[in-house]
Amino acid sequence: MPPRLRSPNFPSVSSCPSARAQSIAQPARTARDFSQSSCRQVTLRRRKFYEWLNGPGRALKQPLPGSTNYLGAYDKFGNLVRGNVAPEKTPKKPKEGEAATKEGAEGEVAVTAEGQESADALDDALRQHEKEEQASKKKDGVQKLPPETAEDLRPFPLNRFFRSQPVLSEELREAIYQFVVKEGKTVPLASITFGVSNERVGAVVRLKQVEKQWIAQGKTLAMPYSKAVLELVPTTPYIDTSLPKNAGKRPVVHEPINDLIVHPATRQQLFVPVAESRHFTREDAGKAFDNNLLPADERIPHPELVKVVRDEIAGFSNEERRTRAEQRYRDAMEEKTAAEEAKKLHELQTKKIVPQRRWDFVFQDVSVEDAGRDGRSHKGVGWRYGLPHQDRKKGQVKIPTQVEA
Amino acid sequence: MRKKPRFHSLKKLKVRQDWSRWSLYSISQLRAPNTGTKTYFQQKWTAKSDTRAYHGEQIREKKWKRLFRRNLPAVVPMDHRYLARYDGSEQAAGRGAGADSSEKERQPMQTPYMQMAYYPIERRLDTAIFRALFASSVRQARQFVVHGLVRVNGKKMPYPGYMLNPGDMFQVEPSSVMFATGARKERSSTARKIVKEKAAERAKAREENPVPAHNPKEKTTTVATRAEPTPKELKEHMQSLMLDVENVLAEEVGAKDKQKFRAFRQTVRKAVSLWGKATPETVSTLDAQFTFLKDALNARRAELAPTAEEEPTPMMSPEDQKKLSDAFEKLKLEHDHISTWNKRDASAPYATPWRPRDYMAAFAFIPRYLEVNQNVCAAVYLRHPVARPGLAEVPTPFHIETGQLAFNWYLRRR
Repeated sequence: MPPRLRSPNFPSVSSCPSARAQSIAQPARTARDFSQSSCRQVTLRRRKFYEWLNGPGRALKQPLPGSTNYLGAYDKFGNLVRGNVAPEKTPKKPKEGEAATKEGAEGEVAVTAEGQESADALDDALRQHEKEEQASKKKDGVQKLPPETAEDLRPFPLNRFFRSQPVLSEELREAIYQFVVKEGKTVPLASITFGVSNERVGAVVRLKQVEKQWIAQGKTLAMPYSKAVLELVPTTPYIDTSLPKNAGKRPVVHEPINDLIVHPATRQQLFVPVAESRHFTREDAGKAFDNNLLPADERIPHPELVKVVRDEIAGFSNEERRTRAEQRYRDAMEEKTAAEEAKKLHELQTKKIVPQRRWDFVFQDVSVEDAGRDGRSHKGVGWRYGLPHQDRKKGQVKIPTQVEA
Repeated sequence: MRKKPRFHSLKKLKVRQDWSRWSLYSISQLRAPNTGTKTYFQQKWTAKSDTRAYHGEQIREKKWKRLFRRNLPAVVPMDHRYLARYDGSEQAAGRGAGADSSEKERQPMQTPYMQMAYYPIERRLDTAIFRALFASSVRQARQFVVHGLVRVNGKKMPYPGYMLNPGDMFQVEPSSVMFATGARKERSSTARKIVKEKAAERAKAREENPVPAHNPKEKTTTVATRAEPTPKELKEHMQSLMLDVENVLAEEVGAKDKQKFRAFRQTVRKAVSLWGKATPETVSTLDAQFTFLKDALNARRAELAPTAEEEPTPMMSPEDQKKLSDAFEKLKLEHDHISTWNKRDASAPYATPWRPRDYMAAFAFIPRYLEVNQNVCAAVYLRHPVARPGLAEVPTPFHIETGQLAFNWYLRRR
């Protein structure tokens, strides 16, 4: 298409030149006839893009001090939704609703099967804490934004099933590290105390250890980055219950700790006719799906909590419950160590290691039967006739699948 | 050959995995899929092309097809009190539709499986680095990996397609992270001049006095082989250590002269290495070093005391211990001060003092399957992303119907 004919008297075709001048930084092109380069004229799309950037998108360019700043928190005209509400009304109205939902959740806890209600309660607790902080700040005379609702934490407004979830604050990480490393408490106990999943406790300790090593070595930490990022994302605060000012408060729970993985065997729908008189329990339901499927009470990460509550129902006193729980823990630990030792002993008996200067020779018993009936099983040892190695072939992936820690 | 389309095209709006204003604009312009006027094939095609422009755009289609899994992982949070109180038979009570109840039971929330179609891609190293907020786009994260700036479990990993296993720790060079996430540098002529002058100075200094090839390791290894130091050596070391302690305590935190802090750090290392039984792993943190020194010296005194009764001089008096711990505290403070100090630095490749880049706030979120420590720019991949009632952990900007259509595209064999 030839370049459009343009008269120098009319620099723009737009009906509203003032709006264009505002929104577009770069000047409109000067006509260069016979040019082969593409037309650099400001198109409708580009105009809209800049209009959006300078209008609704402007608020997203810089972080909002003391809050997250996601697209979901704004309406389509670029107004902060929670900023419009009168500050007097906000703390009062949701509080009533929250109290109601809290009571409801408390009442339902014993009834509902899923812990999802409790997951919602986590968020409520977090928001409640933030609200209290806001209230205390307000007393000091600092005006701040109301805390975020679930919609405000959506970076992608169209996806209602994703929201930015809080991360651990610095103090909470340090507290977990001290709890596990200094006080020598177990990981499950830390998980229950701080409301953080088992894996996360381990990861926090590992990362903190690296951080402390860096300090000992004198390596510079990325502090400015760390501070900025923790300002941008929502964080779970640490409430030190030992302090007198926090008396009567409960620590904020970070995430649900008893997540039951949906087992592939349970994905199908089953119709199992059962006599009305039969006592059909969770265990029986599990058996109906798969004979080896354990019941949910044993597949969750903290089965010990269930046992403690069962003791409570059975009418044991506080002291008895504690001793029983400790006994169970000790038994489990003994079993584990015994199994580990047995494994080690077995290895010692079957493996013979001859240390060399650089590499060790390891001798271990193998069986011809390992190759399987057709001789093609991957468990077989050594080169077998008719089974060439594939590793030098084109297209074989050589990316490692695991790295030893 | 056909011209490659623009990465950020306004004509065909695609959301990309980066923190650019174009991505933000496209996210704001996204709509639910048009199911009214399009055939099912067209709907699936559009959904696939839109979602693939975001998820693993750097991976070839064939590769992604092999990664695709039709089984999507999910979890259900359980309440241990419920599990203890009920054995599940109450759900099987009644007949057919279940036991009669006057009140309506609350429906559990929907588990958004369909937003999880691209969960295998979140396992890739480059994507995980982007999700941990260490790079401003997946392509940049990929470049970091390829350039050898990323370690997995402490070992260099140059493959961006490495599939992280639960429990893997990955680290990115902090200076690169600060460059990737920091505001861009305005290149002024003065800044350029300063950098050039500094480089010239350095070159000159190097020419004037070439570094002598000394070998400090030799000494330490010979010392380290011994299990117990002689009392004389110990005394000398103690004296030099205490001298350094005095120096450090006299020094101001944030002073320009860092030499005394550095010297203290070195003497501590030497004092620790004097005892052969200490491995670098056991005394890696300052607290561990302090407790190690204290315990080692105390044990030594307990041994010496019965033999030399006339001279019960403790190796480390309580006052000295106090001073040593104070010095360690000061060392920590000083280090904190240096790390926090966001100074103007012409040689840095990002705008100084450091601040987050434009539009970063709108994209800053860390999914729950990662645990990130921003101070050391390291993160642990805890588990695979899962769907739970009301929440999908794979960050995707699309509508759930788009996700469903895309999932169906890959489900089908055509």
